[in-house]
Amino acid sequence: MAGKVKWVTDIEKSVLINNFEKRGWVQVTENEDWNFYWMSVQTIRNVFSVETGYRLSDDQIVNHFPNHYELTRKDLMVKNIKRYRKELEKEGSPLAEKDENGKYLYLDFVPVTYMLPADYNLFVEEFRKSPSSTWIMKPCGKAQGKGIFLINKLSQIKKWSRDSKTSSFVSQSTKEAYVISLYINNPLLIGGRKFDLRLYVLVSTYRPLRCYMYKLGFCRFCTVKYTPSTSELDNMFVHLTNVAIQKHGEDYNHIHGGKWTVNNLRLYLESTRGKEVTSKLFDEIHWIIVQSLKAVAVNASPSLTSSTANDRILKYNLINDTLNIAVPNGEIPDCKWNKSPPKEVLGNYEILYDEELAQGDGADRELRSRPGQSLGPKGGRSRDSGRTVLTTWK
Amino acid sequence: MESCGRSATPPGLEGVALCRRCPVGSNSAIPPGHHSQDLQASLQRPEIKLESLKEDIKEYFKISGWEKKLQNAVYSELSVFPSPSHPAAPPEHLKEPLVYMRKAQGSWEKRILKSLNSMCTELSIPLARKRPVGEQKELLNKWNEMGTDEPDLSLFRPVYAPKDFLEVLINLRNPNYENGDSLSFRTHLGLIQVPLKVKDIPELKEFFVELGLTTGQLGIDDSTQVPPELFENEHVRIGQKVLAEQDSAAAQQYIRQGSPTALRAELWALILNISSQPEDILYYEQLKTNVIQHDLLVDSLIYKDVKLTASNDDYYFVFEDYLYQVLLCFSRDTSVLGHFAYNSASPPKSYIRGKLGLEEYAVFYPPNGVIPFHGFSMYVAPLCFLYHEPSKLYQIFREMYVRFFFRLHSISSHPSGIVSLCLLFETLLQTYLPQLFYHLREIGAQPLRISFKWMVRAFSGYLATDQLLLLWDRILGYNSLEILAVLAAAVFAFRAVNLMEVTSLAAAEAVLADLSTLKVMPLLQIFLFATVT
Repeated sequence: MAGKVKWVTDIEKSVLINNFEKRGWVQVTENEDWNFYWMSVQTIRNVFSVETGYRLSDDQIVNHFPNHYELTRKDLMVKNIKRYRKELEKEGSPLAEKDENGKYLYLDFVPVTYMLPADYNLFVEEFRKSPSSTWIMKPCGKAQGKGIFLINKLSQIKKWSRDSKTSSFVSQSTKEAYVISLYINNPLLIGGRKFDLRLYVLVSTYRPLRCYMYKLGFCRFCTVKYTPSTSELDNMFVHLTNVAIQKHGEDYNHIHGGKWTVNNLRLYLESTRGKEVTSKLFDEIHWIIVQSLKAVAVNASPSLTSSTANDRILKYNLINDTLNIAVPNGEIPDCKWNKSPPKEVLGNYEILYDEELAQGDGADRELRSRPGQSLGPKGGRSRDSGRTVLTTWK
Repeated sequence: MESCGRSATPPGLEGVALCRRCPVGSNSAIPPGHHSQDLQASLQRPEIKLESLKEDIKEYFKISGWEKKLQNAVYSELSVFPSPSHPAAPPEHLKEPLVYMRKAQGSWEKRILKSLNSMCTELSIPLARKRPVGEQKELLNKWNEMGTDEPDLSLFRPVYAPKDFLEVLINLRNPNYENGDSLSFRTHLGLIQVPLKVKDIPELKEFFVELGLTTGQLGIDDSTQVPPELFENEHVRIGQKVLAEQDSAAAQQYIRQGSPTALRAELWALILNISSQPEDILYYEQLKTNVIQHDLLVDSLIYKDVKLTASNDDYYFVFEDYLYQVLLCFSRDTSVLGHFAYNSASPPKSYIRGKLGLEEYAVFYPPNGVIPFHGFSMYVAPLCFLYHEPSKLYQIFREMYVRFFFRLHSISSHPSGIVSLCLLFETLLQTYLPQLFYHLREIGAQPLRISFKWMVRAFSGYLATDQLLLLWDRILGYNSLEILAVLAAAVFAFRAVNLMEVTSLAAAEAVLADLSTLKVMPLLQIFLFATVT
């Protein structure tokens, strides 16, 4: 069996196991010699915690970077982005340029956000500036829409006030930490409904940054028509798009689960809004992703539970393509690997950003080309990877 | 014009039918007041002299853009009316020249109406009823989300499904045609047994010449591997020019090579001669009021159809509410009755209670004369990708229906009628894929039984949306539905290898169950232009 990749997983999902088995990989236990370990979030935490002092050997790969929670947790994500922006500003990078009102020109992609209870007072100051606005409260450590609610009155979040009588400085357990952001109440609606985007991004290395975007991302729709009316603030089916929430709505349809492919979205937007605006939109989405990664952040655990038959197929193929990139040719992993994988193995992934390629072409690599404002060369139309260029910037 | 003492029709324009459907606020794209005030007011300008009235008017039309609008309107009329026939031919001939076809359509209609009436009696629901004020208010509030309504529809069943209609077509016979009992190579072995003329591949190649291998196509030459400088960029540029010129005929010619996504909504509107005038919006609002005030039995049929089909579709479920807003209004739109002049079908007639047989008390039911069947809402669904303003969406759908879709469910000899399409499909298969055709027949899987539903729905719900729109581009471009039959045959050709291995109808259905990955233009091109015949 020399040469066969040995795998372990502590997540019993068919989309994973089928993919391993079809490659003829050998299943082993975590105590044995393994090459590839698809870990749950808990295991990652244990493996890479300071106490255990565990080190991966050169022929081992896992499915999360040790610092993945820098983006999983909402408060850490916000901190990272804020810190990243300040760093760029200090460096004098043109990316950190601001307009007359002090808003970032290129890095303004997170709405006004505060940590609670730590920034409570700062938040109150901001809240009072526009008292009729709505804010969204999200627990830092939860996912799938759990624990999220909307507020439009200070009284609704009295609990997080640091002036509460319990003590003047209470170190709140991480369970109760929340982020509060300005709620965007004029979202783009399709068929009168709100939707969000679920995009899959694979990061194979951080330095240099190499990431891939899965072409088959999708949009998730709310089952109920959107209304910014305050009476519906409590109706989570109007405001939250997570499938876990929508699944329990009366109108949830099990055949399609309220999803569209990103290509569909593109078709709709191009047909109704025009090509330029649509291309700009997708450009900006990709920009946000890359910048966020640079600020160091990756969501830990995409749901591997499949809700519909189509969904199962999608996730199977996703894992398949992921493994093809991460473990090319089914060879035993070697940490010295540094080449970009050839185009053929990408499957449904597209190169989102390859720092080496970007740097290799010289010129200001982080400059972005916007219509009417050319700051640098446009990202090359690389003939090999086909015509789909995700970005007009490098 | 009164000041000149002349009649209302400007000289030189006599005989031109300006508007097929006359009621004010119909969908005609002729700008407001085409009958009177505006036009007359503009003709009273000082530049127009009495002595050279005719020339001056023509000149004025040209500069002001009215000439183009009139041309588009005339062109629009010509698209639906057949070529001039014998002056002594009665109006039924405009609907359908062949007697046996007319008779068959008549008895099919009787069946449908009977089915509708018996459902009505069984469920004790009136065909129409005025809503109490409370209910009206409620409906008005819910107008934008009728999809959340969950009326009990379990007792309703669709009036008919495509397969019922297919049985009728299979039994169509021309009593004047004697086939003889002996089988020969001429014998048609498909399900359709009427002798209509259909095109063969050489004729199709001529008809669809712009789909040929040497002409650029959207759907092929805009794929990721092809540099856009080769075709796409130029094609987009021409499209923008066509739109700027606002010329229907040019747009129709242009769109044979496919429409760029960003230009499609406008191009279709131009070809269909739709422009949203205030009176059109007003007309739509009037229909909406009718919906609020009266409840029709067909409304429940529409609800049921949407819930069964569009709501479950991967692409169209988002637009569920728009579908109600369009279809409920459509049922009440009496201007649609105008298309029965050239449709072999006739609107079902009903009589006010107690006045059976008295013409003054006859009403058409539903008001637009069109009884929806299972899958009907799928005609509207793809349009939601292009138009999100309800009255515009409505106008486009209505025009698509009275120009094309009605032919897919009425019995006629028209080359774009469903009977001809079925025959065309079967003939193509039998002639060019005889081995496959015989094999499928042998195992009891007559190909038409599988492809019929695709054609009746113009492939809506079977193809991916972007592919469907490319297909419908060509329907508009060629002003013909024949492409549906050609595509159906091309699909069978594409999957021929797998089909040769099946041994039952069910297995054949399975091979052809999923068309969502197909690319229509390459399929069509290969079938028509690259297959050795």
